[in-house]
Amino acid sequence: MNSALLQTRDLEIGYRIRRPASAAATHGRRYMDRVVAGHLSLTLRQGELVCLLGPNGSGKSTLMRTLAGVQKALGGQVTLEDREISRMSPKEMARKLSLVLTDRVATGNLNVYALVALGRYPYTGWMGRLSEKDEEVVRHAIESTGIRRFASRHISDLSDGERQKVMIARALAQDTPVIMLDEPTAHLDLPNRIEVMRLLKELARKQGKAVVMSTHELDLALQAADRIWLMGAPGRDGTPADMVSGMPEELVLDGRLEGAFKRNGFEFDRHSGSFRIHHEPEETIGLVGDGAEAYWTRRALERKGFRVVSGPDIPFRVEIRGREDERAWTYVDGRGGVHDCCDICSLIDALEQRRGA
Amino acid sequence: MSVDDTASGGAHPWPRLTLRLPLVMVLLALVVLFFLLDLVLGSVRIPLSSVVSILMGNGSDIEAWDKIVTYIRLPKAVTAVLAGAALSVSGLQMQTLFRNPLAGPSVLGISAGASLGVAMVMLASGSAANAFAIRQLGLGGSWLIVISATLGAACVLLVVLAIAVRIKDNIVLLIVGIMVGNITVSLISIWQYFSEPEEIQDYLIWTFGSLGGVLGNQLWVLAAVIGIGLLVSFAASKSLNVMLLGENYARSLGMSTFYVRVTVIAATSLLAGSVTGFCGPIGFIGIAVPHLTRSILDTSDHRFLMPGVCLMGALVMLVCDIIAQMPGSQTTLPINAVTALIGSPVVIWVIMKNRNLKSSFS
Repeated sequence: MNSALLQTRDLEIGYRIRRPASAAATHGRRYMDRVVAGHLSLTLRQGELVCLLGPNGSGKSTLMRTLAGVQKALGGQVTLEDREISRMSPKEMARKLSLVLTDRVATGNLNVYALVALGRYPYTGWMGRLSEKDEEVVRHAIESTGIRRFASRHISDLSDGERQKVMIARALAQDTPVIMLDEPTAHLDLPNRIEVMRLLKELARKQGKAVVMSTHELDLALQAADRIWLMGAPGRDGTPADMVSGMPEELVLDGRLEGAFKRNGFEFDRHSGSFRIHHEPEETIGLVGDGAEAYWTRRALERKGFRVVSGPDIPFRVEIRGREDERAWTYVDGRGGVHDCCDICSLIDALEQRRGA
Repeated sequence: MSVDDTASGGAHPWPRLTLRLPLVMVLLALVVLFFLLDLVLGSVRIPLSSVVSILMGNGSDIEAWDKIVTYIRLPKAVTAVLAGAALSVSGLQMQTLFRNPLAGPSVLGISAGASLGVAMVMLASGSAANAFAIRQLGLGGSWLIVISATLGAACVLLVVLAIAVRIKDNIVLLIVGIMVGNITVSLISIWQYFSEPEEIQDYLIWTFGSLGGVLGNQLWVLAAVIGIGLLVSFAASKSLNVMLLGENYARSLGMSTFYVRVTVIAATSLLAGSVTGFCGPIGFIGIAVPHLTRSILDTSDHRFLMPGVCLMGALVMLVCDIIAQMPGSQTTLPINAVTALIGSPVVIWVIMKNRNLKSSFS
C-alpha cells in the first residue's frame, strides 16, 4: 500500500518570463526564471491523502500544475510511476493523473451521468462510445462518491457541494492512480467540506488512490491528511519559498506549521491545532472553573482583551459555578465587590462597565 | 453511503446516454415534408403527385413544370438543406469552442471576409452588374463571385488561425475574431463610400442572400465542401463534449486543445465560408438553430446535437425559403430578412417555454 507513485527530485517551480529589452542586452538572454519554490523533493505514496498547505501566493497552484505536467518545471524532475512526466504524452498522463479544478463547468444541459462519463475520454474511441467496461467504471465512480441519487439530474440543478462530488466522480472515472484537487473545499459550507474530505480520505484508503489536495482548511487538513506538504511564504526580497513535508502532528509539534503562517495579529495554538486572532491583552484576569463553560468563558474574555490565567489566587477573577441548567458566573472585582451574573453576556457587560468606570 | 445508494438502486435507475430517437424521427419526417412542400409551393403551384413523379424521373404532364422543378426548385431546396445544416453546425461549434451563447459562424469574421472578397471583385470589375447578371442567370460566370467570396473568407481565416496558434485563451481569440471582422467591415464601408451607387446596389443585393443561385456543377461543389466540413465536425463531437468542461479539464484529459481548436475553426470556415460564397451572408440560422436544438433535445452532448442541429437547420431553412417565395404571388422576399423575421420569434418562444437555454452556459 505504500509504493511511491509520484516523486520529485530537486524540483524547481516557477515561471519563465521575458526580460525587458534593456536587461536582455546586458544579460545576453531574453528570458529569466522567476523561481517560486526550489529544491523540492517530495514523495507521494499509494493510498495516501496529502494536503498541500500554504499562504496565498506561496505557489500551491504552481506546484500542482507542475506535478500535473500542465506547466514546465524550471529544473529537477518529476517522475510518475518511475517515468519522467516531461517524456510522457498528454494521453499517457491522462491515464495516470486526474485533476479536479476550480473552473466552473458550463454544461448545464448535461446530466450527471454524462458528465462523469466524460472522464472516460482517454479510453474511448473516436466517437466516445462507452464500452461495457467504461460504463462499469462510470457507475462505480458514481456509487463510490455517493451521487447515485442525482445521477440523472442536470448539473445546473445541483448545489455547490453536490457539484464538487460530481467533479470528483469524473476524476475517479478517469481511473488514475493519482488524483489532484485544487481547493476542492472552497465555497462549501462546513458539512459539505467535511463530507468532501471524508470522501477523499475514503478514496485514498479503500481504493488505494494517491490524493493531493490544496486547501486553506487548516484544521480539517490536520485531522484528515496522512501527510502535509507545507509551502512557506516567499521572502520579501523574492527568495523562493521553503517547503516542508511531514506528518501533520509532527509539523505542529516542531513549530514549522506555525512558522509558515506567521503574521502579526495571529497566533497558533499548538493544543487545538488552530489559529487564533491575536488580541493584545490589556489586563490580567483569573478564571476558576473547568469544562466547556471554562473554555468558552476564556474565549469570550480573551476576545474582550483580557489575559486569562487560571487559578483562584488572582484578586480580579471570574468563578464559574454550577453546570448545565444552573450555570452561574461570579466575578470578584478585586476591590472587595462580588457580582453574580447568570450568563456570559451579562458577565461581559458587567466587566465592560467596570472598565469604563 | 455507497451501500445505501446501491440498495436504493431501483429508485434511481441509471440514465441512458442515448439519442431521443422519436424526436429525431419527427424532425427527419418534417425535413422531408418541407422539402417536398418547397418543391410544390411557389409562384406556380405544382401538385405533389407531379413533383414526386418528376423526382422519380418520370416527368409530368406539363413540360414547364419539369423544368421548374428540376432546374429551379430542386437545386434551391437542396441548397436550403445544405446551407441550413452547414450554418447551424458551424454555429454550434463556435458556441461550444468559445463557451458563448452569442457566438455564431460569423463571429470569427469569416462572413465579413467573404463580403470583402465579393466587394473587391465588384470594385475591380468596375461595373459589377455584368458579373452579377451572369450569376442571376445561373450560368458559369458566377464562379467569380464564389471564388472571390471563398478567397476573402480564407484570408480572414488565415489571419484568425495565425492568431489562434499564438493565443492560448479562447476568449481572447473570440475578441480578436470580432475585431478582425470589424476591420473587414470597415474596409467594405470605405469601398462603398468611394463607389458608384450602381455598384453598391449590386453588392447590397448580394448581401440579401439567395438560395436560388447555386446551380449545376456549383451545387456539387457546395455539397462536397459541406460534406467534408460536416464529416470533420461530426468527428470532433467527442472533443467538443470535453470542451464543455473548459480548456483546463480538456487538457488534463489528454486532449490537444490546439489541435481541436484548429480543426473546429477549419471546419467552420469550410462550412460558413462556402455557404456565404454561394448564397451570400445568411444570418440568424447559425446562432439560433443550436439553441433551438439544445432546447428541444434537452442535451449538450454533441454526438446527439450534431445530427439534431443538421436536421433542425435544414428544416428552418426550408421553412424560411417557402415563406420567402410568398406562395401564390410573383414576388420573393430576400432570404436573409425572412430567416430573422420569422425565426427570431419562434426561438424566443421555444426558449421562454423551456427555460433551459441559460443552464447550457452556466
